[in-house]
Parts: sequence; structure tokens; C-alpha cells
Amino acid sequence: MPPSVAPWWRRRLPPPLFAWLLVVPVLAFFAIWNIVPLLWMIGLSFYRYILTFGVNPVYVGLQNFSQILQDYNVWAHIGLTVLFVIGAVGVETLLGVLLGFAFWGQTTLPGRRLALTLLFSPMVLAPVAVGTFFRLIYDPMYGILPYYIHQFFGVPAPNLLGNGSTAFLSVLATDVWMWTPFMILMTIAALGAVPRAMLEASAVDRLSIPRRLRYVIWPHAKFILVLGVLLRTIDAFKTFGLVSAMTAGGPGNATQLISLTLYREAFDSFSMGSASALALFALFIAIAFTSIYLFVLNYQKREVAAE
Amino acid sequence: MAGVRLLGLTKRFGAVAAVDNLNVEFPDAQVTCLLGPSGCGKTTLLRMIAGLEQPSGGQIFFDHDEVGEWSASRRNVGMVFQSPVVYPGLTVYDNVALPLRGTLPEAELRQRVGEVLELVELQAVAERKADSLGNAERQKVSVARAVARRPRVLLFDEPVTNIAAGERVTLKRAFKRLTTEVRLTLVYVTHDQTEAMTLADYIAVMRDGKLVQYGPPRSVYRAPRDRFVGWFLGNPGMNFVEIGAPGEDGGSLFSGAGPQLKAPAMVGFRPEYVEVLSDPEPASIEARVMRAPITVGGQHLLTLKAGDTTFKAKTDYRQTYATGQTVYVKIPADQLRWFDPAREELSPPVPGDAE
Repeated sequence: MPPSVAPWWRRRLPPPLFAWLLVVPVLAFFAIWNIVPLLWMIGLSFYRYILTFGVNPVYVGLQNFSQILQDYNVWAHIGLTVLFVIGAVGVETLLGVLLGFAFWGQTTLPGRRLALTLLFSPMVLAPVAVGTFFRLIYDPMYGILPYYIHQFFGVPAPNLLGNGSTAFLSVLATDVWMWTPFMILMTIAALGAVPRAMLEASAVDRLSIPRRLRYVIWPHAKFILVLGVLLRTIDAFKTFGLVSAMTAGGPGNATQLISLTLYREAFDSFSMGSASALALFALFIAIAFTSIYLFVLNYQKREVAAE
Repeated sequence: MAGVRLLGLTKRFGAVAAVDNLNVEFPDAQVTCLLGPSGCGKTTLLRMIAGLEQPSGGQIFFDHDEVGEWSASRRNVGMVFQSPVVYPGLTVYDNVALPLRGTLPEAELRQRVGEVLELVELQAVAERKADSLGNAERQKVSVARAVARRPRVLLFDEPVTNIAAGERVTLKRAFKRLTTEVRLTLVYVTHDQTEAMTLADYIAVMRDGKLVQYGPPRSVYRAPRDRFVGWFLGNPGMNFVEIGAPGEDGGSLFSGAGPQLKAPAMVGFRPEYVEVLSDPEPASIEARVMRAPITVGGQHLLTLKAGDTTFKAKTDYRQTYATGQTVYVKIPADQLRWFDPAREELSPPVPGDAE
């Protein structure tokens, strides 16, 4: 009897093959659900292929892309989306960090644990459900918010979602309501990454609060915090359900985010070729965003390495 | 610098009193070592002095200021933690200078930081990033940072515990240099008696949240107040032998001792004061060598048995001993300490005692 205790199927297979066998299911899953559709989409973006026409795809080269680049509407929707991302993520980060610090400083607050649990609740709701509820809250006839605006300011109850100038901000506010807790939690997690001895040392050393933030908290907290901002940015860029349920892009094009344009192109016009091209375009923008964050995040590390 | 006075200081965690009604004064410009086994409350005490832990009761004074309600920042203490704390991304120089920025003119700041860096022998790496250094040097950085601020009280919380054994020596040497060249009110927590013995002007021995004994190292070592201190200080600790009625076994070992005992009694003596002879002498008794390993210092650490009494002796490196060998043992009477066997505390000196 050999001293080996490995089961027969391990002994029969050479080690590299065994390792491959373990990885294959994940790779297969990834390939079938991610790589193939992506390649399919990239392929489709070079064709004119409209489902409802009953015609086979026609190769058109870069025509879909040139149409997107020349389409004023698409650029307007991308601009609106970027504005939405900057506004939503900016406000969420600001509020999240402030409230995160407040939570962090109050370790003995009664009910802290319960409050933290409740913070999760907006995040676990489906965006469509949140959108639907907020459409009712904003409703000029039955909505509670216009009612109180009417009561407090004596103005007629406003139609917040029906008005081109307030619809965008109303949708943005809903996104802030839904995702600020996420940034609070990320902030608490980030602050948890700061070693306690270091905080105590900085207090004993009589460092001012700005110095503590800069030299003690930021170096340890930045990774988790920037990761939170990154996740929020990518997520905000593809906001769909929330807006779809609240305004469906309207009134006019006031809340027409790129994801809604994409949806219309693909499932209203059934124009799969140009929708694929647009999706690819949006993907590049998201990748660009991500790269910028990662560049900034790694900046200091590279500086140290270059030293 | 300031003296530290503690009045009835208490810290309870639930039902457990980590620090129990402590009354003591650590004098100005002196090094006091808080010594005790793990979990005796010495770190908790230090953290209360620093303002990092809220006392459950009692008062803390720095000179005449009652600081119990003050924040850690307001107390103006310097603290060195068990694991080295350096501010990441800053050079050694900037680490030490950071707390001083804005409080001193640039020229004075540069001079002050330079002096302190020289004191802990860090000038050579002053421009290196502090977090790129090894543990021992990082700990030196945090010591320098604490000292440079000239705080009222310096607090060291087991500063060499997390340092690799080989690097401890350089760190301890730096501390020794620091304490001899700068007069500091330093409270130094350790469970290592060698550290305490070499650095301290005063030793405070703690056990179970209580202060057992306080005094200069030599007197605490020579006259431990109770059996615990005698056992804890010294390597190995004091021998203790209980003596029954006069004439009973064990008594013969100490027959040379002066005091007329009211038996029963407990006698303590340090292994290093036991004289081990190869030939009988007056007042010596016969003993058998049970074990004879060699200590770090190259001495022999004998386990001896005389009658039913087993005790330890530390002897010269020049002699060699074999297990089972017969030797003769003498203990100078002035090195015996008499303890009350019931309370295990040092008996008050009786007339005729060599003390």
C-alpha cells in the first residue's frame, strides 16, 4: 500500500489536468454567459439587423457606429447620463461619508445595530419597485410630497415628474435615497480598516482633525472608499429600472438615460445591429470611467514603487 | 514633565476589576516600570493615564491638574504602543516632525527633530519612508515622535514585545540611552523583569489589578513584600520553604539564621545567594543534585534536595556538577527573608533579624 492518501481519481490524473478540471466549470459558465454574448454583440454591431423586417443581417461595416457618433440625440442622452452619474454618485458619496463618520463615532449609541440593519433596506429593493413607489409619492394628485409642498409653501401641488425642469432632479433624489446607505456602509467599512492603535496614536500626538484625516485615515480608508465609488459609478451608469418605472425617459427627453435609449432601440425598434453598437459604445464609456478610478487609486502606489 | 498621582483609580469591565482602587505616585522625571504578569491590568492602567480608557472611578493627577476628564489630546502625553505606529507615506523625519508642525518655528523644529533622531540613532534613515523600515526602527520612530513633543508624561506600553528577539537589544539600548540622557517622567509597562530592572528608577509590581509593591528595583528585589513578588522577580524566582515546629525537617537548613522563630514560618531565599560547596563547612548541610542545567548566562541552575526540601541554586560557571552528586550548601543568614505562612506576606522584622 503506497503512503499516498489521494483518492484514485487524483492519482490517475496528472496534476495540471486535475487543476484544469477544477477550473473548467467556472470557465464554461463564464464563456457561455459572458464571452459568447459579448462577441455576438460585437459581431452584430457591424450588421444591419432588424428583427421585425424578417431579413437576414446585412453587413454594413462601421455604419452603425458612425450613425451613433453623428446622432445628436445619442450624445445628449450620454451627456445626461454622465450628469446623472456625477450628480448621484457625488451626492451619495458626500452624504454617505458624512453619515458614515457620524455612525462610526457613535459606537455606544443605543439602537445602532438596528439602524445599520435598516440602512440595508433600500438597497435590497428592486429598482422598479422603488421607482413605482416614488412615482406614487411624487404624484401630483395623490402623492404625499406634492401635498406637503402645497401645505408648507402655499403653492399649488407641483407635478414633479411631469415637469421637464424638476423630473431629472426628482429621479436623481430617488437614486440618492436608494444608494446613500450603500456609501454609508462603505464608509464604515473603510474606517474600520484604519488600525485602532493608529487612531489612538494620532489623538495622543495631538494631530489636528484635518491631519488625522490626511495622514491616518485616508491612507487606510481610501481603497474601500474608492471601491465603493467605483461600484456606484458603474451601477449608476446603467440605471434603468428606476427611471423606467418613474418617467420612462420623459417628459420629453428630460430623463432619457442612455440605458433607456438602448432599450428603445433594441426592444421598441428591434434594431439589433445599432443597439449592439450603442451597447458597445456604452461599455467603452464604463470601462473608461473604471480605468480613471483605478489609475487614481494606484497613483501613489506607483510613486512609491518608482522611488 | 510632571509627576503622576493616582487616587483610588478603578476600572471595571463588567464584574471584573481590571484595575482595583489603585493609589500611587509616579515621581517627576523618573522612570517607573509597571511590572506584572499578563492580564494584571498594567496596560489598562497605562491607557487610563493616557486618556484612551475611561476610568470607572478614582482620580488621575498630573502635578496639580486633575486630568481624569481630559481627552487624550489635551493631556499632552506621549505614548509608544506595543506594535509600532508610524504615519504611512511620510519619511522618518516628517513622522517625528508632524505633531510639531505649526507649534514651533521651522529652525527650532529642525533642531529638535535632529536631536531626537540622533538620540535614537535614526539620523542615517531620516529621509527614508518610515513604513519601509523594519519593526525595531519603526518603533524607534514612534519613540522619537513621542519624545520630540516634550510631553508632560511619556507612556510606553510593552514597546519591545512585538519586536524580533535579535532587534530587541538595539531598542533596549536606545531606551537606556534615552532614560539616562533625558530626564523624563516615563511609565513603562512590561512583563519582562530584566527590562524593568535595567531601566527603572522605581518598580511597581501589579497583580490582579492591585499594586503589590512599589519601590526602587533593588529594594523590591531584596525585600519582596509577599511571596508573589519574590517568585515573580528574579530568574528563577525566590525559593520558599515552609518550616514546621523547631527541630522538624527543613529547619536544619536555616539553623545558622539569627531569628528565634515562632514556628511555623516560611522562609524565602534567592537561588543566586545559595553557596554550593564541595566540602562541608560549619553551618553547611548536605544536599543532593537533582538536576543541573546551564542557564543563558552560562551559570549552573541546580535543583537541590536536602532532606525533603527541594530548592534551586544558581552557581558559578567554573564548577561542574553531575546529577546525583552530593554537595554542601550554606545560605547567608542576611539573605533569608521570613514570611508569614498564612498570609504569605513578609513578616515584620523581629529583634535580632539581620536586616
